[in-house]
Amino acid sequence: MLLLALLASSAHAAWEWSAPLTVNSVRSAAIFPHLESANRRGVAVSGGTVAVVWEDNRDGSPQCYLATKPAAAAAFQMEIRLSQGDCYEPVVAALGDGRFVAAWEEAGTAHARLLPGGAVLKLSDAEAAQVTLAAAGERIYAAWAEQTGRFRRIVVARLALEGDALSVKTRRPVEAKKPADEQGWPALATKGDGSVTVAWEDRRNHHTVPMVSTSRDGRRFARPARLTDQASGASAEGLGAGTGAMRPTLTAWGGQGVVAVWLDKRDFLSGYDVYAALDGGTRRFGKNIRVQDSFGDNMVQWHAAVVGDAGGRLLALWDDARDGTPDVWLSEWDGKAFGDDVAVPAASGLGAQSDPVGTLDAAGSLHVVWLDHDEKAGTRVRYARAVRK
Amino acid sequence: MKRIGMLLATGFLWATTVLADPPPGYPFVGYDAGLAAARASGKPIFLYFGRYGCAWCDHTNKQTFSDAALKQLYTKNYTLVYVDAESGKRLTLPSGERITEAELGVRLQAFATPLFVYLTPQGDKIMQIPGFKTVQDFRDYDRYVRGGHYKQETLLEFLGGKS
Repeated sequence: MLLLALLASSAHAAWEWSAPLTVNSVRSAAIFPHLESANRRGVAVSGGTVAVVWEDNRDGSPQCYLATKPAAAAAFQMEIRLSQGDCYEPVVAALGDGRFVAAWEEAGTAHARLLPGGAVLKLSDAEAAQVTLAAAGERIYAAWAEQTGRFRRIVVARLALEGDALSVKTRRPVEAKKPADEQGWPALATKGDGSVTVAWEDRRNHHTVPMVSTSRDGRRFARPARLTDQASGASAEGLGAGTGAMRPTLTAWGGQGVVAVWLDKRDFLSGYDVYAALDGGTRRFGKNIRVQDSFGDNMVQWHAAVVGDAGGRLLALWDDARDGTPDVWLSEWDGKAFGDDVAVPAASGLGAQSDPVGTLDAAGSLHVVWLDHDEKAGTRVRYARAVRK
Repeated sequence: MKRIGMLLATGFLWATTVLADPPPGYPFVGYDAGLAAARASGKPIFLYFGRYGCAWCDHTNKQTFSDAALKQLYTKNYTLVYVDAESGKRLTLPSGERITEAELGVRLQAFATPLFVYLTPQGDKIMQIPGFKTVQDFRDYDRYVRGGHYKQETLLEFLGGKS
């Protein structure tokens, strides 16, 4: 616990937010941008460049787009299209020196590409979806849900980068045996030592349970463990199979740590709540911690994401409608618990703001992207940066 | 041996489907197929928003949807749609927006499952009802929806006026 407290040394200072910017250049009432992705990795910062990915239907079919801007610039550059066929749930990870790797589902399988430039790499020959990425230095991992018989299972690949050429170095299912039920929505975190942690939704217990495994090198994975400390099983009346929990997200944290945040319905009368579990470096996650404060108790939370960095900063983002309409909320780890919920200024108030994604840059600045809904004018992809006061 | 394997597989399928899926024997279909079928038939949509493993869904299936007359009433008069509250399966809203089944829960602000949503054949929401309901409840909702009473009065007003 002392380690966890030390990792939160900077958690009490408030954030100072920049004026928000609009990321997408095209919008109308018939265009629907989405920031949904496995591990909610829609924004990354590399060498002073911010990159945002999303999907929308401006071209008559769902396509994935990427927009960038120098951190100090007043506007995003015109977005580029990443995909040729129907595209879903894009993610982006920072590689350093202004380079990124993006991944997405297209034509029923997972793809990746180095940016800027770079050719598109097909990650799997099988039907695959819900691809995600994690990178630390030159170590790049991808994970996706791959069709294996009746169900999907989680596959993790280590990617190699030589010059501008991206390739698959290793590709392994987390479990060799065929899945007994559906698996999906993987999340990844990789640390400086090259190890990788993968979490995912798993239905082997006949309800949705976030599970987790680790590997030192992406070749052999530890036996999966539950992230949730809620047991599976029927109710006292012999009904159902257990409470629901979904969409796990992961971040590397504090050099050796990994943190998970997910949506959890253990209190079934208040909808999904945001829960977290921390691994301080032991490869074991501790007890589950409720993230949102009591003012959010009677409200359903959605689109939860964890954001952390090697400096020990840690926070969770989500949206809920406790003030009447959906707003983006933030809660920071103070070393013992997640603190009071704070509305992100430009992503709260009148109208509906939802679907946050976020990242911390090398200087500790927080970059948040969200959807600002307007049924008549069309939804905007919005961005703001926050620095410590 | 092959036959035993098939029987085991069938048993497994049954075991998984009874835990929290649509009630057995009802012709539930996915959202997109249901919306297309409703437009073609002119039947209103009865959307069952359930969760895999949900105890109250299981309870409702066993206590309420096991009623043969209710099954006949809803099968005959509604397009039956099942949506999995935690699924990443995609669907297309009447607006043309593509979202996941789980995201539909966000749009419905679904607190709990089961959640029952009645929609016009064009996909416009008439009302949504959360939680366990009895056979009589579903008979009342049917009269309210198919009788067109929702156009003039709220469900509470309608139920307060019943004999």
